[in-house]
Amino acid sequence: MFGLIGHLTSLEHAQNVAQQLGYPEYHEQGLDFWCAAPPQIVDDITVTSITGETIHGKYVESCFLPEMLTQRRIKAAVRKILNAMAHAQKANIDITALGGFSSIIFENFNLEKNRQVRNVELDFRRFTTGNTHTAYIICRQVELATQQLGLDLSQATVAVCGATGDIGSGVCRWLNAKTPVQDLLLVARNQERLENLKQELGRGKIFSMENALTEADIIVWVASLPKGVEINPEKMKRPCLIIDGGYPKNFDTRIQEPEISVLQGGIVEHALDIEWTIMEMVNMDAPNRQLFACFAESMLLEFEKWYTNFSWGRNQITVAKMEQIGEVSQKHGFEPLLLAEERVSAHQA
Amino acid sequence: MQDVATPTLDYTSETYKDAYSRINAIVIEGEQEAQNNYLDLIKLLPDSKDELTRLSKMEARHKKGFQACGKNLNVTPDMEFGKAFFAELDQNFQNALAEGKVVTCLLIQSLIIECFAISAYNIYIPVADPFAKKITEGVVKDEYTHLNYGEEWLKVNFDSVKEELEQANRENLPLVWKMLNQVTEDAKVLGMEKDALVEDFMIAYGEALGNIGFSTREIMRMSAYGLRES
Repeated sequence: MFGLIGHLTSLEHAQNVAQQLGYPEYHEQGLDFWCAAPPQIVDDITVTSITGETIHGKYVESCFLPEMLTQRRIKAAVRKILNAMAHAQKANIDITALGGFSSIIFENFNLEKNRQVRNVELDFRRFTTGNTHTAYIICRQVELATQQLGLDLSQATVAVCGATGDIGSGVCRWLNAKTPVQDLLLVARNQERLENLKQELGRGKIFSMENALTEADIIVWVASLPKGVEINPEKMKRPCLIIDGGYPKNFDTRIQEPEISVLQGGIVEHALDIEWTIMEMVNMDAPNRQLFACFAESMLLEFEKWYTNFSWGRNQITVAKMEQIGEVSQKHGFEPLLLAEERVSAHQA
Repeated sequence: MQDVATPTLDYTSETYKDAYSRINAIVIEGEQEAQNNYLDLIKLLPDSKDELTRLSKMEARHKKGFQACGKNLNVTPDMEFGKAFFAELDQNFQNALAEGKVVTCLLIQSLIIECFAISAYNIYIPVADPFAKKITEGVVKDEYTHLNYGEEWLKVNFDSVKEELEQANRENLPLVWKMLNQVTEDAKVLGMEKDALVEDFMIAYGEALGNIGFSTREIMRMSAYGLRES
């Protein structure tokens, strides 16, 4: 059985979802309540592969909210993730993806040393960040959406915002090794990590975010911030393709500029309907088929019975592992989300 | 990498000892209540006499352990405070006992008091002084390893006891939040945060309700009952 540990995008969102699901005890509550709320398994999921195989999973709501980070309720944030992991393990879930901020909190606050959660000793092999699949899907989105728009990667400058992160560095490795991309702009806060990445790649230019956004033909956004950054499209190149793989999404997909196309990054579409209710709550366009690639990774590991923490630790994503997960992603019927037809024709008009 | 800061506590300071005198008292009183309640339950469940006696003795051992924790820090527990703290919950237990309401008695003792204790101990262990840490770890191990008598009894009889459990939950859970509010400040001095205590209680209580047979939806409703008004 696979599992997904997820959370909602804001306090307001959480209150609305609680109301929709009919939990009055939860929907009228403020942040203090969510800081004290326990994890719950709130959905049973059934997924069928195009190979015909069917698997079952559970959705664990951690009750984490991004406001816990912005309002420095760090201890609560940490407890949410550890408790959700213990809850998943107690429910005998074989492989669970840490969605949204869960893996970021795990990494940033060094939770690997908090193995003991009450009477549960966490077995980290049962968890995956899902980042390898996310990085793979984002790279495929770059390749395929570029084709959709009739752009040429060999003449394109690609800016990766959040380049030194787990997903960002994986994306850089792939773009460097497997695509003819002309220029790679590396954007991140930590200069030392940027230098290391540049050295590892043997190429790339270190850029500030502001400059990168005006120079790039393709922007890959993979930085995750507790609060979205407002980005002004005015100074961007025309045409420009933005793959927004950040969490939460920073770019409005409804940008009306004809030559700027925004694609939700790190999202996959499954060939068959998935039986679940929780995705309706995260505002996907096609909730029965679209989902975060990190969640899909735990499904893939379940389909293949690879019960191991496929994605774990920081900056471990190799091109070989991305290829490996990419192969099974296709085999079971997951495709990268691409630009809608009307978007493509608007762009080309 | 960032680490989550753990506060440095001076176990010998007057502030710490003052707060400890009340927290230690409620822990001792809680174990005393448990010891008495299990013996009282024999009146309603005579067939379980041996098991209930065993549980009562175990709680008595725990009480002695916590008394030693107070002594070790040269703290005299404020037992008057401890008794007053449990008075309402104890009264509800006694009323149910007098009316022969075994389900309500089990909810108060086996679910509420047990979960309240185990969650408080879980949150206390990382911030306890070395002596108390060892004692509390032993107690928690005991609590987890012994088959929860009440939980099992209620599980077997789930269909016939469900309604009374929901009613008893409505009557008694708000008391837990009230009790918690009374000691929020003292617990904080000991390095224990209210939201962590509430969360651990809801986890333990929710697990128990789940084992008995309640659905996730029912658990979410029941375990958060009355929290908003508290």
